[in-house]
Amino acid sequence: MAARAARFNQQVLIDTTPLPDSIPKVKEIGATSAPLLSAAFFIGARCKPYNDDYMMCKTEANGRGELECMKEGRRVTRCAASVIADVNTHCLSEFRKHWMCLENWNQQLWQCRRFERDLNKCVFENLKLEKVIPGAPADEIPVHLRKRQIYAHSYANM
Amino acid sequence: MGVPFEALLPYGIIVGLFTFTGVTLGKLRRMQNGGKTARHSIDQWDRQMMDRDRRITGYLRGQSDRPEAPPGFEVNSPWRLEKRFT
Repeated sequence: MAARAARFNQQVLIDTTPLPDSIPKVKEIGATSAPLLSAAFFIGARCKPYNDDYMMCKTEANGRGELECMKEGRRVTRCAASVIADVNTHCLSEFRKHWMCLENWNQQLWQCRRFERDLNKCVFENLKLEKVIPGAPADEIPVHLRKRQIYAHSYANM
Repeated sequence: MGVPFEALLPYGIIVGLFTFTGVTLGKLRRMQNGGKTARHSIDQWDRQMMDRDRRITGYLRGQSDRPEAPPGFEVNSPWRLEKRFT
């Protein structure tokens, strides 16, 4: 747990000792940045209680959260992995199209609303998970449901 | 008489050379980014996620959507070392 980010670092040390056996093992999530961004709101929809638990544990731990909140962290990992596994089984092609589009557009969600609409529809029908933007004002249409994306570069993907 | 084409040839050469440079540099940047457009305006979060991508797939812009990480992922996180200033 470094107190600050490393500056001018020239060397990197990779310590391959695994965690001790007293800590229960959980498989880490293998999804990289674009698929995770694509599935993020669905992970939030299904895993909200576990995520809130973990965040509260980390806030209350006052700096020792990495050591003390491992149980909540395992729950978060398992829930997120279950969401990704479900999306893979039911909506793989829409999921892949969406995150490949995101990769081409600097991972900006507003450039790829066309594929996002297909993905949202498929996930809602199969997994009953709906994308909700927390903290959005209730009297306006949420950004992902608007017909025109004012910052999108390409009209084809709007 | 119309415009003599010989007068426009130098302009054609200039435009052609600029186009060649532009297209070549664009293709090189695409090749460096695994066939995709380059990322821009990356902040520390994006850098950290791209580092994680490299740990999972081996390429900075490689992506995978498996729910489980490949076997070495739990132990290959780097500790960045600094030299001491004495």
